Amino acid sequence: MTATTQRPAPPRWTGERRGAIGVVLLVAMVWSISGLDVTLDRLLGAPSDAWAILRQMIPPAFARVAARGAVGKVFESVYIAWIGTVIGALLSLPLAFMAAHNVAPIWIRVPIRQLFNAIRAVPELILAVILIPITGLGPWAGTLAIGIHSIGTLGKWATESIESIDSGPIEAVESTGGRWVSSMRWAVFPQVMSTISSYWLFRFEINVRASAVLGMIGAGGVGSELVSHLVFRDFPAASAVLALTVGVVLTIDTVSAAVRRRIITGGVGGDDSSRSAEALSDLTGINHR
Amino acid sequence: MTPTPGQSTRPERPRLRARTVGIAAALMAFSVFAAREVGFDPSTFWEVWSNPLWEKFWPIPWDWVFDSGNVLQPFVETFQIATISTILGCGLALPVSFAMSSLTTPNRPTYLVSRAVMNVVRAVPDLFWAKLMVTAIGIGAFAGAWALTIFSLAVMVKLFSETVDGADPGPLEAARAAGGRHAPSLRTGILPTVFPDYVAHALYVFELNVRASVVLGLVGAGGIGRVLEAQRQFFRFDRVLGMLVIIFVVVWVIEQVSVSLRKRLI
Repeated sequence: MTATTQRPAPPRWTGERRGAIGVVLLVAMVWSISGLDVTLDRLLGAPSDAWAILRQMIPPAFARVAARGAVGKVFESVYIAWIGTVIGALLSLPLAFMAAHNVAPIWIRVPIRQLFNAIRAVPELILAVILIPITGLGPWAGTLAIGIHSIGTLGKWATESIESIDSGPIEAVESTGGRWVSSMRWAVFPQVMSTISSYWLFRFEINVRASAVLGMIGAGGVGSELVSHLVFRDFPAASAVLALTVGVVLTIDTVSAAVRRRIITGGVGGDDSSRSAEALSDLTGINHR
Repeated sequence: MTPTPGQSTRPERPRLRARTVGIAAALMAFSVFAAREVGFDPSTFWEVWSNPLWEKFWPIPWDWVFDSGNVLQPFVETFQIATISTILGCGLALPVSFAMSSLTTPNRPTYLVSRAVMNVVRAVPDLFWAKLMVTAIGIGAFAGAWALTIFSLAVMVKLFSETVDGADPGPLEAARAAGGRHAPSLRTGILPTVFPDYVAHALYVFELNVRASVVLGLVGAGGIGRVLEAQRQFFRFDRVLGMLVIIFVVVWVIEQVSVSLRKRLI
């Protein structure tokens, strides 16, 4: 008897389904293009306009923008990001202990988790729009906006790492008669601190980008430099500012990633790829999973 | 010497190392310096809290907010920007992601160049792109759509190329062993296994784009942010707050729908 294998039946309706999805995408495209007030000459002209500007951007006028203090502005963005991260870290740490399900009772956990979610849902830029009339233009508005927004994500991450700890040390402290505070200090804190401090650094990396953008609406930092050069169509200067910003962002990313790797060796939970997905979601405060 | 039963020697207390102290001191010094630079002062918290301007945010003029021309119409524009840039950005991301994964790249130079370019593109924040595009091709939603297309491309290739990296190489090897050329091998060997992730990432990018397109208008790139910026400049903070509430609700609804769709996909 010969062993014949039955070929599996091909899935049905695939062509029709593909067609339907294609039509939906096409309709979505036509509908959205109809609202962008695109004319044919704008559409055809856009690449050449962009190219013309790109050509004017080279070479970047580093000396000129440096003389105007652009380097200081880039550093101001870094300071804003740093202090924003410090504010977020200090405020989120105690809250995270009250939000983790293994160490906090339900009546305090739920409201604090909702607080984290609500904070995460409001982007820094919107916070800055609200804060600028109150604080006035300048770095303090951006710092507060970043600090407040950071509470949401840092709190969520810290809560998750507290929830993933080994419960043995907590039991050990409790069995010796320790109170809640002592078990947090001696059982939980040493287990989570390496992970949490690497999250702080990671949030700092994100905040550097965020604070660069915040300057565009006057909340301090390098964004205002870029906007003012672009408004006056001074493209060599704009590209120099852009290059400085990208350089600083990439440098901080690299250094901070190296430090984080060093900290996390031997820490609890959280691998790098899951955190990079978290980071993306965090840039805008969306749940990735 | 072994400790007698029931009695154990206490482990030695870790000593404070000079390096640790040095690092902590340096971080503290940097923090203090940075705090001065940004104008930090504990009293400012109270000043912010007790500022009389907060009253300007209240009450929310709901009839203005729900008047269709004021908020609804620019909101539709926001969605149009988000939709077109998601479709274009994710469409372009498909081939670029394959070039960026060591598993599927056609050759080494393509791999290196596409990675380097995309890293730089991603290092530029989305609103910088928007401002550049506004300057290059004029104020309005068209510039916003361009900027978000670039942004979606950069995010999507990051997410999707990582998925492709982790894909099962077996079917691809089989297709190549059977003599398949590059593109058809990818089409039959890799794409079917990663396509659900592709759609899930695309939905996620759409969420990002809705959020980003809300603030695009702050730099003149169209959508609801344009109205937000205008009302802000007229000091109508009550209207600003009303719009923010609407944005918050709509974005939240979209996120919930998208998250549940993505859960079903993966």
